[in-house]
Amino acid sequence: MIVAGCDVGSLTSKAVIMRDGRILNSALIKSKAKPWESADEVMKSALEGAGVSMKEIVFCVGTGYGRDKMKFINEAVTEIACHGKGARWLLPTAMMVIDIGGQDCKAMRLDRDGRVVKFMTNDKCASGTGRFLEVMARVLGVSLEELGEMSARAQAPITLASACTVWAQADVIAHLNNRVPIEDIAAGVNNAMASRMAVLANSVGVERDVCMTGGVAKNDGVVSTLEKLLGVRIKRIRRYDPQMAGAIGAALFAHEKAGGGLR
Amino acid sequence: MMEDFREVARVLNNRFVQKWKDEGKKVVGYTCSYVPDEIFYAAGILPYRVRGFGAGAMTIGDTYFGPFICSLPKCMLQLAGQGDFDFLDGAIITPGCDSMRRLDECWRKMHDDTKEHMPGFFFHFGVPHKYTEYSVKWFVDETRRLIRAAESHFNVAIKNEKLLEAIKVHNVTRELMNRFDEIRTRKDPPVAGADSLAIVLAGTAMPRDDYNRLLGDLVEEIGKSAKKLNGRKRLMLLGSANDDVDLVKIIEGERALVVADNLCFGSRFYSDLVSEEGDPVEELAKRSLAHNDCPRMYGEYRERLKKIKEKVATAGVDGVILQNIRFCDLHGSENGLFERDLEKEGIPCMRLEREYGPIVESGRMRMRIDAFLERLG
Amino acid sequence: MRRETREYNFDWMLWSAFSSASRIKMGTEKEYRTVLKYIPYFRGIAEAMLGTGEAGQKFIDCCAAYLDNLVNARERGLKTAITTFCFSPAIMYALDIMPICLEVLTVMQTLSYKRGTVEFLDYCNEVGYTETSCSAQRGSLGAYLAGVGAEIDMIVTDTPGVCDTNANAFSFASAYLDKPFFQLDMPPQLDGERSDDYHIGDFKGLIAFLEQHSGRKLDLDRLREVMREIEKQDELVAEIEDLARLVPNPLPVPFNFMVHGSRFLFAGMKECTAALEAMLKLGRENAARGISGLTGGVEKLRGFWCYIDHYTQSMRLWQMLDRNGICYEGNILSRSWAMNAPHVKEFGKEDAAYSLDLTDLDSMIRSMALLNSRMPMVKSIRGPYDAPNMWLEDNLNLARMYRADFIVYNGTPGCRNTWGMVKLMARDTEKAGIPTFIMYADAFDDRVESWEATQERFEEFLKVRGLL
Repeated sequence: MIVAGCDVGSLTSKAVIMRDGRILNSALIKSKAKPWESADEVMKSALEGAGVSMKEIVFCVGTGYGRDKMKFINEAVTEIACHGKGARWLLPTAMMVIDIGGQDCKAMRLDRDGRVVKFMTNDKCASGTGRFLEVMARVLGVSLEELGEMSARAQAPITLASACTVWAQADVIAHLNNRVPIEDIAAGVNNAMASRMAVLANSVGVERDVCMTGGVAKNDGVVSTLEKLLGVRIKRIRRYDPQMAGAIGAALFAHEKAGGGLR
Repeated sequence: MMEDFREVARVLNNRFVQKWKDEGKKVVGYTCSYVPDEIFYAAGILPYRVRGFGAGAMTIGDTYFGPFICSLPKCMLQLAGQGDFDFLDGAIITPGCDSMRRLDECWRKMHDDTKEHMPGFFFHFGVPHKYTEYSVKWFVDETRRLIRAAESHFNVAIKNEKLLEAIKVHNVTRELMNRFDEIRTRKDPPVAGADSLAIVLAGTAMPRDDYNRLLGDLVEEIGKSAKKLNGRKRLMLLGSANDDVDLVKIIEGERALVVADNLCFGSRFYSDLVSEEGDPVEELAKRSLAHNDCPRMYGEYRERLKKIKEKVATAGVDGVILQNIRFCDLHGSENGLFERDLEKEGIPCMRLEREYGPIVESGRMRMRIDAFLERLG
Repeated sequence: MRRETREYNFDWMLWSAFSSASRIKMGTEKEYRTVLKYIPYFRGIAEAMLGTGEAGQKFIDCCAAYLDNLVNARERGLKTAITTFCFSPAIMYALDIMPICLEVLTVMQTLSYKRGTVEFLDYCNEVGYTETSCSAQRGSLGAYLAGVGAEIDMIVTDTPGVCDTNANAFSFASAYLDKPFFQLDMPPQLDGERSDDYHIGDFKGLIAFLEQHSGRKLDLDRLREVMREIEKQDELVAEIEDLARLVPNPLPVPFNFMVHGSRFLFAGMKECTAALEAMLKLGRENAARGISGLTGGVEKLRGFWCYIDHYTQSMRLWQMLDRNGICYEGNILSRSWAMNAPHVKEFGKEDAAYSLDLTDLDSMIRSMALLNSRMPMVKSIRGPYDAPNMWLEDNLNLARMYRADFIVYNGTPGCRNTWGMVKLMARDTEKAGIPTFIMYADAFDDRVESWEATQERFEEFLKVRGLL
């Protein structure tokens, strides 16, 4: 039985094609202005790579901000539930998921069956989201990967005005002008991000194992600071790209809804 | 009937107000549920609850208020500055909370600049934050001060017998609303939360006699209605003031019903009767001040929690939405306590922070609510 | 909150820092200089305060003694009450209750630790207290909510009617920790019979509450003794405030902070008197010599702070002012409204002031009630800002009396009560000819606006307005 999950987010759109609970293929594209166009394109790409046609998809679940706008889906499920589901598949011992997406972040606690029992989202401002890191990396003139690695080399991380991305940007520029070492600024950026996430995670209640999904899961600086703040080790995900968690969760829901067994 | 309520809920200067003004009668606005309407009813003046509904831009609000302020009084000032409240002959500002009490100064300074949009009667009404023998005494005096000021400005006499009559009329509303509440919380009720809010809102923006008549008819009609809104999750809505029917619509969607609340434009409007015995001014003051639903009454959290638990039980609530306007720390923090204590008893809760004003984040809000409903099963 | 933060008792950490600080000057100058190298984050405060000589030493002694009482409260048989800065602790001392003043502790931690109170601030949010609330309370409240501070017996505040976010912190703490709560509620008007009656009725209620939860009866002689000490302190403060009018101002920049700090910690106690006496002594000496209290000796500008200061790490605000030759003419927190205060006499504001009558219990309770209703912030931020005796009038009078060249507002984003009126106030003070600057920083949290950015904007204001 072939099913699909499609996650249209504000920055990127993802799709996963799954056969009997195993991923056949996945795709990731930058989101377009209209969510249905993103959905069509990312699905097309995922299907092509899997060598499967749309007709063969028995059930498709849509998620993400564009979930209600997708034409081809059988059902829409929130990204909260999908991320929970996807994270549990990626890390079967996960009881808590921290997801940092492009424009929002969420923390959720799962029950034994992988259902979300408590969650919080922070999407009032770009600070505390992937976008924040993107902006800061650009100001510092480094790549996102480099930004993540720099924390380890910092001597005295700066304190950043982290409540607002625009002010933080001004701060970073001021520090650059004052010849503060770039590693200390980068570490300040990663710390600011991690502290905001820590508040969210602690508000939901930290429970082991903790895993991180979303693009920022790949930033070591943020993840290691977060580990210190939360006092737990964050399990690294190796089974699949953590950025695909939402789409994987959607595909798993599709599998269940189509009558497939639990995976 | 319901259409009348829906219309009044959406139009500030609604046709009831217009008709009242056409008859040459006065309207006095107020910003907080701690102001006793009865005083103005007794004076033949229409008490009107000032709202921020419909403010689009915030150009005027942001000129006078600083950045870290609740958007509700900013929207009120915006509307006032645009002339939307020009039909008011008076306004009463209370220290309901710090954001709201500064509407006093901001409105006056806006008027200094524009020389317009300021009602002739403008009154700062001090409401204590506690219910004790001496605070009641102070508040009775404050109420008398308000009465004297209104009498002198509008050249009316607010006599005790008029006040008593007003109390009776307003108690009729409260009794009708309590009957409505019983209908609203039934299993498979005939009415949704969005309409319930419209009904309360109408009560704050039209003449009380008209309102009681319409409300009486409505309660009669829907009490017998065969309509059933079934198969939905039953929610209770707590927190900051909300006068936007659309917010409740977004929360309800097609899968949920708001069957209960403890909101300022909600149950606080009709809970508790005013005693019809004794000195009317004292009784009015006591009823107002005894209201501890608002977290501005410090140190009364346990009582509020108790009431909410009771309501969750009697209304068969599946989940509680704890919302607050950003910078509303009173409700925001108390929501944190409610979440802790209600979840402890197995009552699912979700906290939601929002801005007051045009709903620009409906997608994100919808997602969170959907996720909450998924949790409720 | 990191695990290691939880493992150290909050009060004990502060006590350890300040009691060590109170002893670092005991050795030779060389030893002192050597120690400074090892305390990079405390160094700023040590130098700023101890640099003023005996006065600074006495003030740090005050802080150390207060914290010593706090960590040993139980052993010394004291009950503990969480309370606020604008509440006179004298009545508590008269009843052997240890006042745990949240804002004072937040300031201590903010000044002396590199990370400031960040973890406690965030902890409050994590347990449901809003992030938009005032950081002045959150900074130390987090420690008590997390159970890493002293055991709490009761909670008392006097800010309802004055500041919601302040009052709410105490109300929240009471619900969260399930401890008894009392509020002194402030009517919108300061003076007049109605307000007096309310203040007095409320204060009697407070005494009954304190007696009930401390298990002690208010002792008339003890209260009289405390009030006598307050009288002395009021005299000292009045003279210090009077000295600040001189040009050049003979008081060192940190004195204002130290004056109100001593009173928030120890009003009515001998420790406070000793610190004030030392401050007055140095002030008099400088005045007699006609010299400025600034380190550089040249007074270029006089600034008045219309609300609170900026407390993040190492007293950088005061250091910046001192470096730039800017004389600090105090803030709204530091003003005494005793009948003999210079501004009371100067502007004929006797109705807004208090005097102490020690005749009998009733007169003493009345005096204490009125004193408390005239505490900083409680006095002038209750009714509309432009009403008589309120914020605008006080700011204009004080700024004029101290010949301030400019006014600065600084607060926290949690301050609903001032952010609702500060733009209006600044318009009025500008109209009155005093350049006014609004800082958007958080006095206790650099994550809102970094100190570097705050300083840059402030200096830009001085430049643009042609002040410096």
